[in-house]
Amino acid sequence: MLNLIRNENMKLYRRPRTWIMFGIVLGLYAFVMLMMHFFTNETMTDNWRDRYEQDRQHLSETLNANGASPGNEQLTQELMKIEYALEHDIPPVHATMWSGVMDSTGFIILVTIMTVVVAGDIVASEFTWGTIKMLLIRPASRAKILLSKYLASFLFALLLLLALLSFSIVLNGILTGFSGFGQPMLTVNDAGDKVEEVSLLGNVLKAYALSTVELIMFVTMSFMISSVFRSSALAIALSIVALLLGYLVTLNLAMYFDWAKYLLFANTDLTQHLEGRPLIEGMTMTFSIAMLAIYFAAFNFFSWLFFTKRDVAS
Amino acid sequence: MNEAETPIVQLRNVSKKIGSKTIISQLSFDVPRGEVFGFLGPNGAGKTTTIRMMVGLMSITEGEIHIEGASVSRDFEKAIEHVGAIVENPEMYKFLTGYQNLMHYARMRNGIAKERIDEVVALVGLSNRIHEKVKTYSLGMRQRLGVAQALLHRPSLLILDEPTNGLDPAGIRELRDYLRKLSREENIAVVVSSHLLSEMELMCDKVAIIQNGKLIDVRAVKGDQLEGSAGIVQLEADPIEQALEIAKAFDDSIDAAIQDGKLRVTLNREDIPKLNAQLVEAGIKVYSIQTTTKSLEDTFLEMTGGDQIA
Repeated sequence: MLNLIRNENMKLYRRPRTWIMFGIVLGLYAFVMLMMHFFTNETMTDNWRDRYEQDRQHLSETLNANGASPGNEQLTQELMKIEYALEHDIPPVHATMWSGVMDSTGFIILVTIMTVVVAGDIVASEFTWGTIKMLLIRPASRAKILLSKYLASFLFALLLLLALLSFSIVLNGILTGFSGFGQPMLTVNDAGDKVEEVSLLGNVLKAYALSTVELIMFVTMSFMISSVFRSSALAIALSIVALLLGYLVTLNLAMYFDWAKYLLFANTDLTQHLEGRPLIEGMTMTFSIAMLAIYFAAFNFFSWLFFTKRDVAS
Repeated sequence: MNEAETPIVQLRNVSKKIGSKTIISQLSFDVPRGEVFGFLGPNGAGKTTTIRMMVGLMSITEGEIHIEGASVSRDFEKAIEHVGAIVENPEMYKFLTGYQNLMHYARMRNGIAKERIDEVVALVGLSNRIHEKVKTYSLGMRQRLGVAQALLHRPSLLILDEPTNGLDPAGIRELRDYLRKLSREENIAVVVSSHLLSEMELMCDKVAIIQNGKLIDVRAVKGDQLEGSAGIVQLEADPIEQALEIAKAFDDSIDAAIQDGKLRVTLNREDIPKLNAQLVEAGIKVYSIQTTTKSLEDTFLEMTGGDQIA
């Protein structure tokens, strides 16, 4: 099995295409970061204390004026954080290098797209090249070969995610002189009476981890289409269209139909449950995870069924 | 029966149906060890389908194929252990070097050392170019690389589907000699398929002729000639009419005629000098004697009845 994955990796990373993908993701990110760095005038780095003093004053006044109103809780928490920051001399996140690192989570969709391309191609290309006839006449079962390709796709995604994360830390570190490198992020605890310091890097990692849910589902879908239809163009096109439009369509459907909650796209974003704002009333974290598991199992089942059972005729 | 005598491949009542269409019907034959076994038939006869079933690329609808005693359909990994194959063209990863391609296939089997890869590369004569990308290779070189990957694990059965496709005459000759050598020296059975009859005549010890998915005949090929069939002899003689009479008198059953100004007779090899002696005795000037063997092609066309495609 290990050897099969090594083979897939060799076939993947010996192609210039793979490195062009790395270049596109990191290059686009660098471009956006540099644009923001050099063309945004407002730098909060130096005067964040003045800003915070103003905010504190403003917040206190609002709270006093409001009396008891529903938005107060959030405002109070905001005020607590500002006071804590001023007291302990902790600049806001967007005044440090971590601002840019946080922005890199927005580029994870590019990682997803690239991995969809890799997964959509990894089975189908063997058929296009005709090498499938060489590959399947060895003492390795078809199921193992399929699994090795699936795992190789996710190794690619992992590598690209790690590259994006470390690149963003290094780039932003250099741009901002590593300002606030070791600083924590502030949150208010559940009871709402105490400000706590949490690791910023941990928070970034959490954002990365949550977005991999979407990545895993769309890559699995692309992989399935690739092994069922043996066409990389179809697999890549369908998956990217689904990735870009699926949520939008589901959003519209959700306004009229309750069954929209059973669609894949209604469940890929798990943050909806963390923030307590599900797409459709009645959806829970457990429901979404169960739905994702069903889709995941179905996709993989069809990949396996078609890849292992069908004749290689062309 | 000891191991050396059991056939390496056994097909028993093998059928392949796609939908309601029967592509292969009730095919049964054995491939013995140490022989080059030819698989002959017109396009669409089911040669490639049969080969694909043998290497597990296609499922077998009915019947059994055993390789070294292991069933291809039920015990695939064990059966394929002994097989090296090229199905149609030797497709390789063009963006990898020849060596990386071999590395790739070596990793899919147990116990192939680096030394073995180098050995096989030297064997097929690719040592100088093996570290170049396959996309720079000529078709002949790809064919050699294909043979190399098939031989990596010292198979006891080599299956080649249309191996001479796209090879130049020198390449075909080389491949032919090489296959002969392999089968003799290493006791490897070689199964080749082709629709090029003249080639099969030169390459094979035995041929199975199939048409419309059915086995028509299995024949031994002796030298350049099918066993038991007489050769056609063309004589340039003067005067030719007299020569024809003598030839007819030579044997009552003889098939003699004048064609393109030459005397054409069907004769067994040992009768050629006898006829010649009679002609010379009768004072006829014999300028040349040419044997054109009744080729496999003629036999093949006779048996398959010519041109219809399945």
